[in-house]
Amino acid sequence: MTLRRLVAFSLLLVPLLSRADAPGVYAITGGTVHTVSGAPIANGTVLIRDGLIEAVGSNVAVPADATIIDVAGSHVYPGLIDAQTSLGFAAPSGGGRASARPERSERPPEPTPDFLAIRNVKLTDDDADARRAIGVTTIVTAPSNGIFNGQSAIVNLGSGSIESRVIKSPAAIQIAFNTRPTWTYPDSLMGVMSYIRQTFLDAQQHVTATEIYTRSPAGFERPQENPGLEALRPVLRRDLPVVFIADSELMMRRAMTLARELNVKYVLSGARQAYAMPADLKNVPVLVSVKWPTAPTDKDDREDQPLRVIRDRQLAPTTPGVLAKNNVAFALVSGAAKSSEFLPGIRKAIENGLSAEDALRATTLAPARIFGVDRQLGTLERGKIANLVVSDKPLFEKEAKVKRVFVDGREIRLPAEEKKDSAAGAPASAIDGTWALTVRAPQGNAAIQVTLRAEDGRVTGTFSGDRGSGDIKGGSLDGTSFEFTISANAPDAEASDWVFRGTLDGDAMSGTVTTTLGNFEFSGSRSK
Amino acid sequence: MKNALFALALTIPLFAQERVTLIRNATILTVTNGTIENGSVLIRGSKIVAVGKDIAAPANARVIDATGKFVLPGIIDTHSHTAVEGSVNEISLPNTGMVRIADAIDNNDVSAYRQLAGGTTAALVLHGSANAIGGQSQILKWKWGRPASEWLVSGAPRTIKFALGENPKSANFRPPEGTPRQYPATRMGVEEVIRKSFIDARDYMAAWDEYEAKVKRKETAIPPRRDLLMDTMADILRGKIDVHAHCYRADEIIMLLNVADEQGFKVRELQHVLEGYKVGREIAKHGAGAGTFIDWWGYKAEAYDAIPYNVALMVRDKVLTSVNSDSDELARHLNHDAAKAMKYGGLTEDEALRLCTINPARQLRLDNRIGSIETGKDADLAIWNGHPLSVYSRVDTTFIEGEVYFDREQDLKRREELRKEKEERLKKEADEAKKDKDKEKEKKDA
Repeated sequence: MTLRRLVAFSLLLVPLLSRADAPGVYAITGGTVHTVSGAPIANGTVLIRDGLIEAVGSNVAVPADATIIDVAGSHVYPGLIDAQTSLGFAAPSGGGRASARPERSERPPEPTPDFLAIRNVKLTDDDADARRAIGVTTIVTAPSNGIFNGQSAIVNLGSGSIESRVIKSPAAIQIAFNTRPTWTYPDSLMGVMSYIRQTFLDAQQHVTATEIYTRSPAGFERPQENPGLEALRPVLRRDLPVVFIADSELMMRRAMTLARELNVKYVLSGARQAYAMPADLKNVPVLVSVKWPTAPTDKDDREDQPLRVIRDRQLAPTTPGVLAKNNVAFALVSGAAKSSEFLPGIRKAIENGLSAEDALRATTLAPARIFGVDRQLGTLERGKIANLVVSDKPLFEKEAKVKRVFVDGREIRLPAEEKKDSAAGAPASAIDGTWALTVRAPQGNAAIQVTLRAEDGRVTGTFSGDRGSGDIKGGSLDGTSFEFTISANAPDAEASDWVFRGTLDGDAMSGTVTTTLGNFEFSGSRSK
Repeated sequence: MKNALFALALTIPLFAQERVTLIRNATILTVTNGTIENGSVLIRGSKIVAVGKDIAAPANARVIDATGKFVLPGIIDTHSHTAVEGSVNEISLPNTGMVRIADAIDNNDVSAYRQLAGGTTAALVLHGSANAIGGQSQILKWKWGRPASEWLVSGAPRTIKFALGENPKSANFRPPEGTPRQYPATRMGVEEVIRKSFIDARDYMAAWDEYEAKVKRKETAIPPRRDLLMDTMADILRGKIDVHAHCYRADEIIMLLNVADEQGFKVRELQHVLEGYKVGREIAKHGAGAGTFIDWWGYKAEAYDAIPYNVALMVRDKVLTSVNSDSDELARHLNHDAAKAMKYGGLTEDEALRLCTINPARQLRLDNRIGSIETGKDADLAIWNGHPLSVYSRVDTTFIEGEVYFDREQDLKRREELRKEKEERLKKEADEAKKDKDKEKEKKDA
């Protein structure tokens, strides 16, 4: 070891050694232990030592140095893995579109497959608390904007630096079929497909050119350095999988066709309509988002919808059950859902034909296997990382509460349950008020006034202006990112849905509106 | 509401088991071999296997008595934007030849089913006209209820959309304020984009030729960058991709034909081509077809000189002419536009029928498979309750490749089933919502 390396190594050790909350030795006794690897053990013991599980069973001898935690009457599970989140990344303004208007240019902008989630993630205590309170101890996270979302990371929601909590990075390259704003390539789904295809061709070219040049540089122009393309090298070698975000059957099939064409290892994420195609997913790992489609609140709006849409939203929650019956490898993930929607979403899948046992597997061992970390996570077995959750009732039952959480063998204190203020009514949300919006469409600007109100994340209200008037057809608010839909009327045209997605910034909002004519940017401010 | 229900008529091949069908006692409008009174069409599997007067029904054949009815080949629409998910325009660049409609097929678009109800069975689904060279288009058959991958006509020629005039120079739609105007902004610019793209393509082809020569000589070489746009342009030059060009004015039509001759590619079909009557002989000389509207005009400056006699005049100039839709609505009754060509310009009945059947098939270079009722061709046809050139006639049954994709009687029955299903599903949701509300109330009260 050179001196320099030695110094670097010692520096690295300092924070490790000085960590105060070193994991200890715990015996969690008396609960029903759901190992996932085997049948539940009544009155079982899980012994944890130095961050790992040392023993699991009904007759585990508790060593003298162990702190005994009696959880009699409770249920003990492996910590849940939420394998599709954007936790620690700002919600994209303009609904999954690039946050800033990219420079328009003749050349397609460079992709950023080299974007490392782990170097950029900003997990807040609130983020981690909210997930742990529902039993999630491990997340896979990556941004959701752009086409190449970058390289996702698997992270434990414990204490300590983010680097100390990484299970795997990169976990996958994530690709979403997001269009860019109109007039910026690619601004259509067709364009997105071509863009991905061309990027992989360029990556292959980069690999070939670099290899030939490295073997014998004489006579060749030196290939340009390109971290974005370089990052795709492990994908081309089929070492690193691609996670394609695809919700509808058509998008899933497009992703599958593209993946076969590019010869990459892949996972589908979203998968709302997988109920329609289980036989075709036999060899495709699937991350099913439990953000199920909801019916419009207004009766007339519900009745105006085609049967296809109604049927789909009723069949969507059957997807996990259908996949389980067809032996498809799948995990249940929150996807775009808020943490508060995760367990209710899983319960809805259980109401629609998924067994609680399969639901547990789909949130523990299944995602661990899909991302190749099942030697460390996913079950309660000797040698695995001590991520544990203790709940007072079976975890997926409606009244169940998570009581204790261990991550990497350390107990993490749960946030005190917030008392719900039922008398005073909901406080004003950040989106409440009347907004004057300008939609910048190629045909000219449209001025629309919206009056919005959010309650429990649901946005309601009215709109009026250049595109008719009426009720907001449903929407949502999550932190500062929002979405709502209006039924826009243009002169001489049928009414069509305009979906506004964007972010709030005090008394200003901006984002992208998706219409049948394309995507346009909008911005506006709150009327005083 | 009604539309929504109609939208759901899942007429999946109704007689999938029935591989042999005999339609008899019908007036067969073969289009290529005249009209057969009291005729029969025998379909086996996906093909027409016999057409004539006296065809005995084979054992197991499903026999349709079409007494008093007419059989017309499936109508073919060479200008469609149906069944595309997302925008049909990749607007961002002057040449977007790398993008493909085939990547964005949406087989849930109910317009395809409605077109079946109008006897239309196949269409060229084009990229939009926002750029001088748009994306690659796709020939589809409206196999409603089948996976999107089956809608693609296998072995069909590859096609691409070009566009001239107001649209590619962004005369009618502009980028948002503050964004620089996209090149080209003039007709000169449109011409330059097209010419330059082919010049670039030849450089690209030369680079690959040079590379392949080196490889042949066993020299080490780094391959040139594979460029999907340049691949497309090169394939146009190689005659592997057919050009379908949106155009209006005579001057720009001549411009494109000249650039095509100069650069060495063919224009397969001029689209819209409202001033085609002014330059019919030049179009015929190049060998381009013309797909046009019969009586739409004046909707923008470049459409002012349109006349309803355009079709007849181009036909007389021996231009291979079709009527097409550019519209989900018109695509359901292209037979009417064909009929109007008899009124405006005096085409014969046969000439009129060709406008929406064999002529578009020839423009798509699929006339060996579709466009007429002939032995050996795909069994794409419709049974009409009257002569298809009458506005009073409608379609009873539409076949694609021997399978029924629309049947009026079945459709009417199915509507009732779908109405019921919708009612039940909505009721289920309303009940659940009520239950949740009651529970919440109970909780509050407690």
